[in-house]
Amino acid sequence: MDSHPAATLLAAPETLHPALWRAHQLGRAREAAVRSGFEALDAQLPGGGWPRQALTELLLPHPGVGEMRLLAPALAGMAAAEPPAPRSVMLFDPPAPLCAAALAQLGVDAQRLIVVHGRDGAHGACHLLPSADLLWALEQALKSGQVGAVLAWLPLRLRADALRRLQLAAQSHDGPVFLLRDIEARVRPSPAALRLVLHSAGIDELSLRVLKRRGPALTQPLRLALPPVLAPLPRARAEAARLATAATARARLGPPAGQASLLSLAE
Amino acid sequence: MLWIALHLPALSLESFAATLGTLRHALPLALLQGQRIAAANGVAQQLGVKPSLKRATALALAPQLRFGQADAARATQALRAVAHAALAYTPMVTLDHDAGLPCVLLEVRSSLRYFGGLPGLQQRLRTALAPLGHDVRLASAPTALGASLLARWRPGFEQGEHVTDLKALHERLDAVPVELLGPGRAHHEALQGMGLQCLGDLRWLPRAGLARRFGEALLTDLDRARGDAPDPREALVPEPRFEARVELFERADHSEQLLHGAQLLLAQLVAWAQAQHARVGGFVLAMRHEPRHRGDTNTPAHTELALALAEASNDAQHLQLLLRERLARLPLPAPTLSLRLRCEQLQRGAPPNGELFPTAASAQQGLLRLVERLQARLGPGRVQQPVPCADHRPERGTTWQPALPPVATARRGTPTAAAAQRLTRPVWLLPQPLALPEQQSRPLLDGRPLQLLAGPERIEAGWWDAAHAARDYFIAQAHDGALVWVYRQRLPQLEPAGEGWYLHGRFG
Repeated sequence: MDSHPAATLLAAPETLHPALWRAHQLGRAREAAVRSGFEALDAQLPGGGWPRQALTELLLPHPGVGEMRLLAPALAGMAAAEPPAPRSVMLFDPPAPLCAAALAQLGVDAQRLIVVHGRDGAHGACHLLPSADLLWALEQALKSGQVGAVLAWLPLRLRADALRRLQLAAQSHDGPVFLLRDIEARVRPSPAALRLVLHSAGIDELSLRVLKRRGPALTQPLRLALPPVLAPLPRARAEAARLATAATARARLGPPAGQASLLSLAE
Repeated sequence: MLWIALHLPALSLESFAATLGTLRHALPLALLQGQRIAAANGVAQQLGVKPSLKRATALALAPQLRFGQADAARATQALRAVAHAALAYTPMVTLDHDAGLPCVLLEVRSSLRYFGGLPGLQQRLRTALAPLGHDVRLASAPTALGASLLARWRPGFEQGEHVTDLKALHERLDAVPVELLGPGRAHHEALQGMGLQCLGDLRWLPRAGLARRFGEALLTDLDRARGDAPDPREALVPEPRFEARVELFERADHSEQLLHGAQLLLAQLVAWAQAQHARVGGFVLAMRHEPRHRGDTNTPAHTELALALAEASNDAQHLQLLLRERLARLPLPAPTLSLRLRCEQLQRGAPPNGELFPTAASAQQGLLRLVERLQARLGPGRVQQPVPCADHRPERGTTWQPALPPVATARRGTPTAAAAQRLTRPVWLLPQPLALPEQQSRPLLDGRPLQLLAGPERIEAGWWDAAHAARDYFIAQAHDGALVWVYRQRLPQLEPAGEGWYLHGRFG
């Protein structure tokens, strides 16, 4: 009698449907998510990786904080041998020309990349508004369902219905969709299922704050070790130099700290 | 032998109304031959408009009636398209232009088994003819003329008559009215006067007398229909180049209207290509414009739109999608009156195999179509693919070419190199190296000093061409912690901005 179905349902209502989760749990993805290649990150993402069939928004202060190194393991897996066949990665309006040698070092097959420019000579140019052609192309790529992963650099100003259209189109896309936008966009509402703010956190490290996810809010930013650029020796040297400068700064800041303690004593 | 006859009772009217789309079932339409009605559609007939009425009478009956001129060339073009569609099923196809009762005849005995018997073949024929938008009546019989007579007979009989042996055909033919035979129509009144209504009545009369009174032709046709005399026919051979034109019902001001007209031409084009077991590699759509006023020489008379496909296709829907993207980008100087479609680029050979389950090849096909569509709208230069190039200079290490997924297919087997231990090149290269200001011999980025972490890595190459580079590269850290790639020009005369530090990339 104690194992009454209604009782188990009341105890764990999230078993009713995969779209249900409780406020303290992480949401579950209907489809297996794409592994990000960073275990600490996978543990914090609903479904254990980058979501498929939904938008993922990455907000960065400027291009080059380590976003490509963050995405590279997932893209490499996509373009390598994921069943049933290797699939292409499409990039829309990247902020600068890509370097094929660097891509190869990250394990991404350049043959599987297709780069689409919304305007002529879009390399490096910063546009306030997305071109209609680019949004159209992005939507076509998502709707076709033939592309493995999609990365799109979208400008700050984007009509809410444009994002919503993309979210709807993404539902027929079997793979992750990354929208990379300026960090200013974090105050604007977005229908994306996952929103992350990226900051550089030192040499070959990335600090990642979860702005929105299907699950409880994450207060602490995650620190991820990216694929290294520096060899161990220069890195150790740079770390030592950083510690030394921090120590001198602390020594210089000593008197104000002492005054503060005195003030607190006086109170 | 077994012949299938496709009779198109309203071919002339349908070929006129084809560009109207769904409106053609809602508007009363009539074709004029001289000053008399030659054909009228269902809506017009409900209003009382009948063939052979005078134009004025018809207008009095239905003031909203819209007229077109009967055009034999237009009807022939439509009939040819039907014949091309039929050529996909048998090599022996002939046209039967019996005045006003157009018919396409197919000899199908040898293809019956392949297409699953007579019912299966009929089903396929109906499906293949559907995009052309004609009302088709099917009949089959052991003789060509017999099949043609059966198809034209009994207008209300939708499924048509299907007889496979001569005995059954003879029975059916005896009841066929005489005016369906070509020579019988010429002598219609005389035959009526003699009380000869159907072919059976003719058969009982003495042949010599019949020949004397009505000519040999009537007897020959009767014998051919019954299978008593040989009936040699010449097989239709499709022309080596396709050319078709369509007059738009109204002048087209925007591309959506144009597309409607082009849809019909594309269906005809695909039928023509399929008749030759080939696929369309590209075509040219020419639009004839209406001059703004008489003597207007500024408006060009034609606009031509050439469309080439990355991979030849026979899919009318795909062709139409490509055309839609191209038309949307094409500025038209004036309203369009008529369209002409030309095609000479045919790709012969076996078509690619279809797939039952999604495989790598079908995914590749889907991607190719996507890229083709994007390139049709954006232009090939904006859908690109990086190609690694063996050059030490980073800005020359990557060349860009228009994306072509088949290239990727060829290299599918090569395993991708595993990720390297360490990244030595930045993912983002600036299109132009950015000159950095300098303070106490340290480079500044955004007003803050850069901290050099590793280097120098000397790259010196290109003394053999115009872009000589002699640089010392460093990996540096910006104030926010991001890593950048900077270099110092070793030979100041090589850089337009002179000596100093340059930002060349960001380790994204």
